[in-house]
Amino acid sequence: VLLVRLARLAKPQTMEFQKKRPANSGQSQILHSIFSQSSIALRLPAGNVRAFRPATPNGGEKKAIGRLTLGGVVAIQDSRKGTTPMAIPAQPALKENRLSHGTHKSLLPQPCVLVIFGGDGDLSCRKLLPAIYNLNVAGVLPAHFAVVCFGLPGNGEIPPNPDDYIRNRARDGIDRFSRQALDNDHWDDYARALFYVPGSFNDSHAYGELKAKLDAVDQQFGVPHSRIYYLAVPPQFVSTCVGHLGCSGMVAKPNEPTAFTRVIVEKPIGRDLESAREVIRAVDQAFAEEQTYRIDHYLGKETVQNLLVLRFANSIFEPLWNESHIDHVQITVAEDEGLTQYDGNSGEPISSRIGYYEGVGALRDMVQNHMLQVLCIVAMEPPSSLAPDIVRDAKAGVLRCLRPMTRADLKQTVVRGQYIEGETWGRRVPGYRSEVRNFFTDHGKALPPASVHSNTETFVALRLFVDNWRWAGVPFYLRTGKRLPKRASEVAIQFKSVPQVLFNASPEVPLEPTVLSLRVQPEEGLSMRIASKLPGPKVRIYPVKMEFNYSSSFGDASPEAYERLLLDVMAGDATLFMRRDVVETAWRFVTPILESWEQERVLNLPEYQCGTWGPVEADRLIEADGRRWRSL
Amino acid sequence: MTSTAQAEEVIVQLPDVERELRRQRQALQDNEKSPVQLVRMSNLVIFCADQDSANAVAAQVPAVVAAHPARVLLLVGESESDGPEVGARVLVRVRKAGGHQRACAEQVTLHAAGGSIARLPFAARSLLIGDLPTNLWWASPQPPALVGPLMYDLAEQAQQIIYDSLGWPEPARGVAATAAWLEQVESATPGGGWRIASDLNWRRLKYWRRILRQVLDPDTAPGVTESVTEVLIEHGPHAVVQAWLIASWLASGLGWSLEVGRVEPGREITWKLAAAHGELRVRVQRLEQGPPEVRRVRITCKLDGKPSAINLFAEDGRRLVSILENIDAAPRTVNVPPQTSAELIGRQLSDRERDPVFTESMAVAQVLAASLLAEF
Repeated sequence: VLLVRLARLAKPQTMEFQKKRPANSGQSQILHSIFSQSSIALRLPAGNVRAFRPATPNGGEKKAIGRLTLGGVVAIQDSRKGTTPMAIPAQPALKENRLSHGTHKSLLPQPCVLVIFGGDGDLSCRKLLPAIYNLNVAGVLPAHFAVVCFGLPGNGEIPPNPDDYIRNRARDGIDRFSRQALDNDHWDDYARALFYVPGSFNDSHAYGELKAKLDAVDQQFGVPHSRIYYLAVPPQFVSTCVGHLGCSGMVAKPNEPTAFTRVIVEKPIGRDLESAREVIRAVDQAFAEEQTYRIDHYLGKETVQNLLVLRFANSIFEPLWNESHIDHVQITVAEDEGLTQYDGNSGEPISSRIGYYEGVGALRDMVQNHMLQVLCIVAMEPPSSLAPDIVRDAKAGVLRCLRPMTRADLKQTVVRGQYIEGETWGRRVPGYRSEVRNFFTDHGKALPPASVHSNTETFVALRLFVDNWRWAGVPFYLRTGKRLPKRASEVAIQFKSVPQVLFNASPEVPLEPTVLSLRVQPEEGLSMRIASKLPGPKVRIYPVKMEFNYSSSFGDASPEAYERLLLDVMAGDATLFMRRDVVETAWRFVTPILESWEQERVLNLPEYQCGTWGPVEADRLIEADGRRWRSL
Repeated sequence: MTSTAQAEEVIVQLPDVERELRRQRQALQDNEKSPVQLVRMSNLVIFCADQDSANAVAAQVPAVVAAHPARVLLLVGESESDGPEVGARVLVRVRKAGGHQRACAEQVTLHAAGGSIARLPFAARSLLIGDLPTNLWWASPQPPALVGPLMYDLAEQAQQIIYDSLGWPEPARGVAATAAWLEQVESATPGGGWRIASDLNWRRLKYWRRILRQVLDPDTAPGVTESVTEVLIEHGPHAVVQAWLIASWLASGLGWSLEVGRVEPGREITWKLAAAHGELRVRVQRLEQGPPEVRRVRITCKLDGKPSAINLFAEDGRRLVSILENIDAAPRTVNVPPQTSAELIGRQLSDRERDPVFTESMAVAQVLAASLLAEF
C-alpha cells in the first residue's frame, strides 16, 4: 500500500531517509522489508529515521513526505495538496525478528521438525543422524528443533518402545560414523528431541499417527508447525510418501507466513529422463518447486564450494578460464572400494551395495548427478549474485550447452567397464559379476536374468564438450570407477603448453604444462604444477607443485557435506540443491547413452582388474586426442 | 594442541630474527620424518602489559595457531620496569596440522620496558609478513580506548584489533570510551577494506544472542517482545560488561530507548527504558560467586496472553537452556562448544567482516554508560 501510494505521488527511483535520532535497527528492517518488494533503491543512514523523501529521476522533487514511527506505522503526506497525513500500518514487517537484524537470512536455521522418512535406514544412521548430532554439538541447530523418524524398522517388527529404539540406533550410528566422537554429556540433549513413528509408507493410518506425533512435538518444542521432510527412501517410495503427505494435510502452502514445509529428495531421481520426470511430477503434486530440495551431497563438500571461490574471488584465474588458455579439463572420481566390503581378517563379506547398484551403474550413480554438477561449477559463467536461482541458472546454462551425443559418437566418446578379480591394497578381491552372484545367493534370492551376465558398468569415462564461446573445442574428460587403485577425486585444469621456443624448444623434453588441480577427497586442497629452474649454472627446468592443503591451514574440523546441506534447508537456502530443470537437463544428456547401451546388448563389457585405472579402452579414448589421464 | 616438537627458544638481535626463524625451521625440518609445511594465514601481533600475562598468553599461542596459522609477534611492554633496548626471542614449533600433515608455527617475542615500549610497534612492523592481514590482539586488562599513542601506533598496521572487555576495572568508563573509540578506529583502510575492532566478550555472547533471538522470535513467541516489562541479567564476578552487552543488544534490536539509569556499585545496575508498548526495566545483577560470565537472563513478559517469564540459564557451561515459566513445554537448548580464549581468538582471527550489530549495540551501550557516569 505504501509503495502504491508513493508511486502515485512521486514515482521515485531512490528513497532518501533523514536521520533524526540515535540508532534503531528495527526501523531499518521495517523499511528494507517494505522496499524489498519494489524497484526503489534505499539510501538509509545508520540511525533512526523519522522522515523520508522520494527522489525522482530528474533530480528529486519534494512532492511527498513520509514519516515512520516506532510502532511500525507509516504516514505519507502529499505536500502539494496539503492533505492530512495518511497512516498505513506496516504490519508485515512486525512479523520480522528484529533481533535477527544484521545476520544474513541464509545463516539462520529456522525452527522446525525434521522428519526423516526411512529414519531407521542406512543413510539415516550413517549420515543424517550423525550430522544432526554434530550440528547439535556445534550449537548451530535452532533451539526449537526436533527430529522424528518415520518408517518400518529393517526387520519389519514394530519395537515396543519406538523412541528408545531409534535412540539406540542413532547412538550406534554416531558411535560408528560420526565426525566427532559421541559425548555422553551431549547425548541426553540430543536424544530427548529424537522420536520414532513406526509405520509403513503405504499405510494412510500411519500418516495419521505421524501427524499426531508431529503436533505433539510442535507443542512440546515450541515449533510453529514448520517441517522438513527428508525422503531417505528408495526411489519407488517417493511418490507414495509425497502423495500421503499431501492427502494428510501435512504440507503447508509455500506462501504460508509463519510455518514452512520443505521436502528433501535424495538421489537417484529416476533412472532416465522419463522416470525422473515422473518423480519430479509426483513431488510437484504436493510441493512447490521452492519447497523442494533435491540433494546432491557432493555439492556440500568444502572443495566443491571452494571451486566457486577460487574462480570468482581470484582475479588471476577468470581471464585464463577459457578456450584460449585451457587445453582440457579432467574430472576424476576414483574409489578403491568395490560394491561389496570384506572383513579384513576373515575375508568374509560384511556389507554390499549390489542391491542398489546392480542395474544402475556408474553413469547413473556418479556421472548424471555428482560429476555433471561439478562440471557445471567448473564451466559456468560468473553468476551476477549468489542468490540461489542466479547460481542455478548459471549451472543450468552449462548443461544446456553440453554437446548431445549421437549413437555414432558414443564409441569414440564414452567407455564403460567392469572390474574383474584382482588385487586391492595387497588383497585378492573378486570381480563384480562374482559379487552379484554371491549377493543374491547370500540373500536367498534368485538371480535375475539380467544379472546372470551382468552388464552393469562399474567404470565409465567420457569426453564431453561444452558448446559455447568460452569452452569451444575444450574437451572435458570425466572418469569414475570402483575398485581403482586409490580413493581420489579431483578436478584438474590443464593449461595450454607454452610455444615450442625458448625453454620449450627441445621436442625430446617438452615442458610439462601448467596444471591446477583441486582435490575433493581425500585431503581436500589444491595444487598448481608450474615449471621452475633447478639451481645451478645450467638452465634445467623441472616441474614443481605448489600445494595448499585444507587441513594444514584450517585443521581437521571441516563439517560433513550433510551438515552443511541440512542447515541450508533449515535456512531456506537452495543454492546447493538441484533445480528441476537441472535434473531434467542432466538426464536429457545421459539418457541417449543409456538407451544406446540398452540397444547394443553386448555380452561383455570391457574389463579391468581390481586395482588398476580402468579398462585399456579408457586410455585409448584420451590418447586418441594426444593426451593422457593424470596419474593420481 | 598439537605441538609435536619445537626448537630451543633463542635470544637474538632484532635484525637477526628472520635468519634465526629460517635456521630453526630448517633444523626442525631435518629432525622430522615427514615434510613440514610453512602455513601462515596472517600476522598476529599480541600486546601484553607485563611478563606474567605474556607467559599466560604464550601458553595459548599453540592452540591459537592451530585454529588460525599465523606468524605470532608477542610484544611485552612492562611500564613498571626499565630496560635498555627491545630484545627478541625466537621460537619455531612443529604442530600436527590434520591427517599426516605437519606445519610449523613461528613465534617472536619482543620485550621492552619503560621508555622503550614506544619502540615496540616499529620493531614489530619490520617483522610483519607482507601480503597477509595483520591482527592485533590487545591482551591487556586496560580498555584499548584508554591507552593512547601506543595503541595508535600498533593499530596503524592492523586490519583487526581484538580486545577483551572481560574484567575491565571501570566498566562504565571503559564502555563509554570504547564506544567512542570504535567510531574512530573502525574505518576504511588504504587499498580497500575496513579496519575492524572486535571484543572477545561479544563473541562469547554468540550463543546467548542465538538463543535469545530464537526464543523472542515472533514466529515462535508471538507478542512476547511487545509485552516485556523486565529483563534481569545475572552475571558472575568480572562479567558486568558481558551482561551490559546483552542489555544494549536487546535495547538496540528491539528499539528500546533509555529513560534513566542507576547503579548500586558492585551489586546491581538498573536502567529504565521506553519501548513502543510502554516502560520496562533492565537489571544487571552481580552474583557473588561463579564463573565470569552471564549466568541467567529472565524476561518477564506475557506468554499466550498471560503474565509469565522466559528463564534462560547456562547449564554446566555446555549449553544454554530456556524454560517458559508456568507453561508445560520441553526446555529449548542451544549447545555451547568449548570457548577457551585461544579458541575464541582463533575464530575471531578468521572473521574479517564488520559486525554492524556490534557497532549498534555499542552505541546503545554508550548511552547506557552515560546515564551511569552522570550519577558519579
